Amino acid sequence: MSKKISLTLKVWRQNRGEEGRFETYQAGNIDTDASFLEMLDVVNDELTLSGKEPIAFEHDCREGICGCCGSLVNGKTHGSHERTTLCQLHMRHFKDGEMIVIEPFRATAFPVIKDLIVDRSALDRIIAEGGYISVKTGNAPEASTTPVKKALAEAAMDAAECIGCGACVAACPNGAAMLFTAAKVNQYALLPQGHPERAQRVKNMVAKMDELGFGNCSNEYECAVACPKGIDVKNIAALNREFIKANLKCEK
Amino acid sequence: MDIKQTVFSSIGQKLLLATSGLIMFLLFLIPHMGGNILFLFGPDIFNSYAEHLHQLVPIVIGIEVLMMVSISVHMFMGIRVALENRTAHDKRLSQKSTKERSLAARLMPVSGGMIFIFIIKHLLDFTLRAKPVTELHGHEVNDVYGMLLDKFTQPGHVIFYVLFMVAVGLHLSHALQSAVQTYGVYVPRKGSRIKLLSKLIAIGMASTFAIIPIIAFLHTR
Ligand code: FES
Repeated sequence: MSKKISLTLKVWRQNRGEEGRFETYQAGNIDTDASFLEMLDVVNDELTLSGKEPIAFEHDCREGICGCCGSLVNGKTHGSHERTTLCQLHMRHFKDGEMIVIEPFRATAFPVIKDLIVDRSALDRIIAEGGYISVKTGNAPEASTTPVKKALAEAAMDAAECIGCGACVAACPNGAAMLFTAAKVNQYALLPQGHPERAQRVKNMVAKMDELGFGNCSNEYECAVACPKGIDVKNIAALNREFIKANLKCEK
Repeated sequence: MDIKQTVFSSIGQKLLLATSGLIMFLLFLIPHMGGNILFLFGPDIFNSYAEHLHQLVPIVIGIEVLMMVSISVHMFMGIRVALENRTAHDKRLSQKSTKERSLAARLMPVSGGMIFIFIIKHLLDFTLRAKPVTELHGHEVNDVYGMLLDKFTQPGHVIFYVLFMVAVGLHLSHALQSAVQTYGVYVPRKGSRIKLLSKLIAIGMASTFAIIPIIAFLHTR
């Protein structure tokens, strides 16, 4: 049964190039079946009607697959639910009268664009360094020409679940993008299609990650708790192995 | 790809940090602990152990050089990594609510710094001092046993040593498991035997080291 609840929101407001600050808003009459973003929609409607600037936040699919949404909710990336993106977080997890602090993802490599929106294009730049495979386009090849063990295919799919939301970076006390890069390197390293560019891929992606100002992973594992897709730290171990192997090889 | 880029990449830096740390752990900390345990067997055994160590001077010097190199690399990379991480992290303003990060992990730079201070004090206390002599099986030997007892008559010294061994324990408990993961061996987040072993070794070693000053102190009462 859905109920209506009222909340007090403390939301980070910031314009590009300006100092940010927290503003307090009342969110009344919120349906507990609403998602977190729908709750923000309601607040924004009211702000707009009263002639104020609505809260800027990023969203697209609203079904947990695109990786657009994400904020710190009471100090947790995507809120308090494990394996849940912010768009999939429902208001039934909040109590009537509760105060919610909403802040953008924080990391030096993620500058704030406006309010809750941060620039995560640094992650795209890591992908551009090798988060792909080079194949001839045309008709899809016959699937059974390249057999893949089921266990490997599953592990690769687990790594490929990463939606690139950046929660791992925001949760990391070192602002490191290690879990993200690990997932992206590993999803190809596990499959035969990824092998031709394997060594160069890991070297280039790690070099880019360092260059963009992400920190050094010190195995705190906060990232794995934060990840809405449950990407495991075994990918980080695998990335370390890939890196060691690639650097021991002499070939380019 | 040049070596410099590999060494100063994030993973390269951590591999050096892990390797220099493990060298100190295996070649210095473990033998040192073994030696300390001999203290419990009385002056003759402890002093003769120290005397035998003297006869192994070439090996000891080799290890000492290796330790100097390891400490330098470890400190350089440790400070570098810690500073880079500080810059990369942007402080959140709301209260952080996950507790995955352990206290030991959080305190790595602090415990590391404490260990460095401890090493200097320890060298001044024992290694770089004129040692009293005593008689053992008709030979004149250094009385390191007496020296140790003498040092730990003062409760201040005992407290200092025990306190700094807590830092050693904290440092090791994160360091061992983290080094293993850095080498590419999967250390799971939950229910990991490697994590457990890492903690047990840390507690075991720290308390073995800490027990010596306490016993010495009680011995002289
Ligand atoms: S809006 Fe697409 S994952 Fe949340």
